[in-house]
Amino acid sequence: MTDLSFTEEQRDCLQELINVAMGLASDKLARFLNTFVHLQVPAIGLVNAAEIPEQFRGQYQGLNSSMISLGFFGDGGLRGETILLYQLENAGKIAALLGYDDDATSEAEMLTDISSILTTTFLNGLAEQLDNSFSYAAPRIISSRDNDFISKLEQTAFHWQLALKVDIRYELTDYSFDCNMILLIPGEAVLKLKAILDNVLAEF
Amino acid sequence: MDIDWLSGPLLQQLNSGVILLNKQLQVVYINPYICRRADIQLESVQGKDLFSVFADAPKAWLSRKLNSVLSLQSPAFSSWEQRQYLFKLPHLRPVSSANQYMAQNCNMLPLTEPSSGEHFVCLLIEDATDAYVYQSQLQQSNLQLQQVNRLDGLTGVLNRNYWQQQLEVEVQRAGRYQHPLSLLFFDLDKFKRLNDEYGHQAGDIVLIEVAKLIGSLLRETDLFGRYGGEEFAIILPDTPLEGAIEVAKRICQRVAATPIEYQQQQLMTSVSVGVSQFSIATSADELIQQADLALYQAKRNGRNQVVTYYPELIDSLKKVKT
Repeated sequence: MTDLSFTEEQRDCLQELINVAMGLASDKLARFLNTFVHLQVPAIGLVNAAEIPEQFRGQYQGLNSSMISLGFFGDGGLRGETILLYQLENAGKIAALLGYDDDATSEAEMLTDISSILTTTFLNGLAEQLDNSFSYAAPRIISSRDNDFISKLEQTAFHWQLALKVDIRYELTDYSFDCNMILLIPGEAVLKLKAILDNVLAEF
Repeated sequence: MDIDWLSGPLLQQLNSGVILLNKQLQVVYINPYICRRADIQLESVQGKDLFSVFADAPKAWLSRKLNSVLSLQSPAFSSWEQRQYLFKLPHLRPVSSANQYMAQNCNMLPLTEPSSGEHFVCLLIEDATDAYVYQSQLQQSNLQLQQVNRLDGLTGVLNRNYWQQQLEVEVQRAGRYQHPLSLLFFDLDKFKRLNDEYGHQAGDIVLIEVAKLIGSLLRETDLFGRYGGEEFAIILPDTPLEGAIEVAKRICQRVAATPIEYQQQQLMTSVSVGVSQFSIATSADELIQQADLALYQAKRNGRNQVVTYYPELIDSLKKVKT
């Protein structure tokens, strides 16, 4: 079986690239939202996708949560899916910032808008760091206000071999907005990612 | 091979809409796909504000979204599942349902002109009317299936399973809000003899007609179900015992007074009714049991009458059994 695990160097490199992408994203979001945005240096972890549902069970069980998926394709065989998880209570805070309280926008539309802004801003930054560019599928709500949250996550995670778990905390001047982002990457794309990281490392 | 020639004809013939806007959200380019459907000329709308060209477009929401694309340089999306359409455009399907306008998926992409570095936003619009129509049909059939799943095939009243679920709901509701709630159980008298004498087809007709007659005596909110064979049950929400007895007596009188026509014959039938009333700490099962006991007593008293449950009924029934 092909080895999908990262070397320590590759992992450090990826962590660094993600940090930079986060920085870029927070800068753009701050300009857009006209407020100070602080993105905490994320904790990233490479985990077996099968373990993901269990990790989120405790955190989201019994809460009004949403799970929104966004697929992306890059050059060189890099592709994957991001899943953004958050509590609806938190979504309300950022929706107010985006000006969603003033018209009859549906909740579903608000959720997909928030998710695509948060994820594509970050992914564009990451693509830039990897000397790549991504194109995106339309965001899709996997689950919202749904007790069956975890089993739906199980069904999704099942399709993927490796998951890059990124915990992000968006802190805005007057609000704090917590969410979790999961980058799910299929096996063959993991190999491509490793090759890309090796290239980046070789250039230093 | 040089492929610069490609983009012109492609934009002309593309089976998707393309709208290019500058930073001020003014129209730079609209491809023929949109021009033809919106009945506009590119030359006459170039330089105009998007929302003056498409006056019906959701301005507050869409301009916010387009500005996010420009300032974040990240794409945005709009799906027909959340917003059926952005622009009122006709579609090429026969008008088969309420969807008068083309259902649309829209990608909003940030573009930069290489030489000047000027930013633009491009709207790519795809026709999703087919998906919309299929989804509507699917929802329609699901709704019908759900209906069928709840009804009794012969009489069209609620089936036992669904009726019992509703009783649980109503009992909980009555308990929570301290509302009155009553239950009627009734049974067609000497139904077996009718079946033996006139055949099962006649029995079926009687069941259908009696159910129809009683249904017409009930309120919209009453829940009428077939409990089994010739036994029916009615949940009367927000109804105290006196009201329930009145309904039960009316049912009794009307059924006994209404002949049912079967192959040029007039069949007469009657019902016996048992009534029970919800009080705090009565479960759905107990409520059923009490109405059933009262019904049994109505039969013993000589049929075609109403009996209300009282606790001593349990003892009297025990005596009969021993």
